[in-house]
Amino acid sequence: MSEHILQQRKSWTTRRDEKARRMRAVQAWMSGPVLHREKTIEALESVIVSGDRIVMEGDNQKQADFLSRSLVQVDAKKIHDLHLIISSISRPEHLTLFELGIAKKVDFAFAGPQSLRVAQLLEDGVLEIGAIHTYVELYARLLVDLVPNVVLVCAEQADQEGNLFTGPNTEDTPVIVEAAAFHDAIVIVQVNKIVDKLPRVDIPASWIDIVIEADKPFAVEPLFTRDPRHINDLQILTGMMVIRGVYERHQVQSLNHGIGFDTAAIELLLPTYAESLGLRGKICKHWALNPHPTLIPAIESGWVESVHSFGSEVGMDEYIRARPDIFFTGRDGSLRSNRVLCQLAGQYAVDAFVGATLQMDGDANSSTVTTGRLAGFGGAPNMGSDPHGRRHSSPAWLDLKTDPAPTARGRKLVVQTLETFAKGGVPAFVETLDAVEVGKQAGMPIAPIMIYGDDVSHVVTEEGIAYLYKTEGIEERRRALAAVAGVSPVGLKAKPEETAELRRKGIVAYPEDIGVHRLQANRSLLAARSMEDLVAWSGGLYQAPAKFRNW
Amino acid sequence: MSTSEIFPAFVNRKSFIELDGRARAQSLFDEGTAKELVGPFDRVESPWLAIQGVTPQADDGCIVIKGKIGGLSAVVVSLEGAFQGGSIGEVSGAKMTAALDLATKDSEAGKKTAAVLLLETGGVRLQEANLGLAAIAEVISSILALRQHAPVITVVAGTVGCFGGMSLAAGVSSYVVMTKEARLGLNGPEVIEQESGIDEFDASDRALIWAIHGGEQRVGMGEADALVEDDADKIASAIRGYVQAGPPSEHRSEQVKLYRDRIAALDTSKQIDPISLRQKWNGNDTTGGAR
Repeated sequence: MSEHILQQRKSWTTRRDEKARRMRAVQAWMSGPVLHREKTIEALESVIVSGDRIVMEGDNQKQADFLSRSLVQVDAKKIHDLHLIISSISRPEHLTLFELGIAKKVDFAFAGPQSLRVAQLLEDGVLEIGAIHTYVELYARLLVDLVPNVVLVCAEQADQEGNLFTGPNTEDTPVIVEAAAFHDAIVIVQVNKIVDKLPRVDIPASWIDIVIEADKPFAVEPLFTRDPRHINDLQILTGMMVIRGVYERHQVQSLNHGIGFDTAAIELLLPTYAESLGLRGKICKHWALNPHPTLIPAIESGWVESVHSFGSEVGMDEYIRARPDIFFTGRDGSLRSNRVLCQLAGQYAVDAFVGATLQMDGDANSSTVTTGRLAGFGGAPNMGSDPHGRRHSSPAWLDLKTDPAPTARGRKLVVQTLETFAKGGVPAFVETLDAVEVGKQAGMPIAPIMIYGDDVSHVVTEEGIAYLYKTEGIEERRRALAAVAGVSPVGLKAKPEETAELRRKGIVAYPEDIGVHRLQANRSLLAARSMEDLVAWSGGLYQAPAKFRNW
Repeated sequence: MSTSEIFPAFVNRKSFIELDGRARAQSLFDEGTAKELVGPFDRVESPWLAIQGVTPQADDGCIVIKGKIGGLSAVVVSLEGAFQGGSIGEVSGAKMTAALDLATKDSEAGKKTAAVLLLETGGVRLQEANLGLAAIAEVISSILALRQHAPVITVVAGTVGCFGGMSLAAGVSSYVVMTKEARLGLNGPEVIEQESGIDEFDASDRALIWAIHGGEQRVGMGEADALVEDDADKIASAIRGYVQAGPPSEHRSEQVKLYRDRIAALDTSKQIDPISLRQKWNGNDTTGGAR
């Protein structure tokens, strides 16, 4: 036996006791689980303690914005140095918390609209970054080494007991609440309305500590809406190549699409171009996808069998309600979304991920992090990778198996699309990603790469397709990528005789190699060319948000 | 089942907005009668843009086509919204004025020639400043001359809309045809916000913009004559009707007393909302467009 003295643990209920102590401080301002709204700031000052780990619900769609607007008003002398865990830094007040000293450290996944300010505050030493994650990675850590003390979430409705209806935009709420409720953290929820009877219960009252009726409905952004009016002929050509050279070639039946105009073009080419190729029922049947308005024509013309969603999309609620065979809906009829589960579906259950990127290097590494911007990753790295834990097979997964050995595995399709030059004549293919320098400046241990080149199976540009999964060795990979990189610095390295050989071997395909006619690539091929067309396709059920209305 | 059978009829229409300036103009003529004047191969382009680092266009964004509409002589002048926002410069202004003046000359000689103006424009081209302003004065004066003999029909289809000096040209036209996607106004939303502040006009609030400037509101107030769906056939048909009808007995811009009285009668102590203004002015019956 060792000489160490085993110290008797004094208590096994410190978290529970602390929670009870904090809750007692706010009891006077509550009726059941409902806190009087005018006491919100005092209540936050009572249940939060300096240095706490706080989860603030806010992803790229819905935001617990009443609670974030309230948290910036607490007295920074009382509450400071909080460790904020937030999937998307989207709102200005998220960063004001750091400027005021209320929060000090942040762990996050995405910082789209605030990416410039995040980079600035980091440089100024006002904010300290734990790590930049993907969505599921961040949620997973809530159950391991980032267990929260208090979580601030939002829902559509609560009843008097505190049961919650999260509505079509359920998104992240269940996982955040689960991590807190079952480890003695305090769960505070803002709701749009307190009602007598909920349409359905998404989260039971016994998981909830404090309910506040907010001053206005929680903020939600139509992030997945692409106006077909802005799809150009090059994007249509790229879409045609993906349909023929990837979906048809590998029989892709289940997939996730990114939010770019390339993938919007593909969705709008299914009822027209792909239909003319006789592909309906053979490809693109099952989707892990938010309810993209540009998918409406494909759904209406019988292309789509199922769609499971991360979140909802502003304006799509009535359409979804009328199409329960396609979408996942509750007994009340409205959509049930769930970001974690859909991310898992997009990682493990689909044949293909197709996404656009802003910058790619000669090894097919790509990132949306560019100079001066710390945008983060969101969910793309989860779906844009080959999950080695996958064991079930599908025709597409098996089709990417290049090694005949019986012990070799198949492979998920990770397809990246990009135009060889971005807006303003800036090359999209570069020698070194901006992310490398950004990572250095931010003191990160590794560069913030969104999708690693070795996970990418296909790269599609307006020039053609590089079938990277077929290449042998890094040199052939680089040559294949250069062959489709146009006149960018990467593309200029291509040699005509090498490219001809790659085309002969089927490692590179230009449009004519796969029966795609360049001259056919124009907007008349799109099943919808405007928001008005999408509304018409939906029979008036889709209600385009004001910011997308041209009428 | 063929693809087009399952497409909604609206989606299957031939969208006018989808067409570029030249195709829009061509779509209005009787088959085989259209002839472009001073076309791109004549290379009459702006001398001012290149020296300011802007690539000029061989037609200066102004397309002039002559031909027959419903069997009657007509000229269509179309501004290409995709080139410099459809702005009016020295060359495009001169092309428009000359087309209108030749139509007047023909009309005076007994060959009535209507003019159709397809206006997708933010107004004067800033790079050409005073030359653009002068062009607008000339255009207006030429419209006033022609409209005594033959109708001048303005079409605003979208998505650029018609703003600035060219909205005055629309104002003195015999007829104005709009889609619900179109906007018509003297000052564009950004200009109003910049000059009078975001409280006066929030240029990012699209619902507000279309409730004020949009086709449904303009037609509803009687400031434009016809609200037509974004459908090339329907727009062509509306224009044929107006070409056939000839100039109205009294142009809108001649009804000075009517509009002065209407404006004088407005109660500006309260915020006026778009719908009640429509009802009060009792122009044409439209229902949508105001939120």
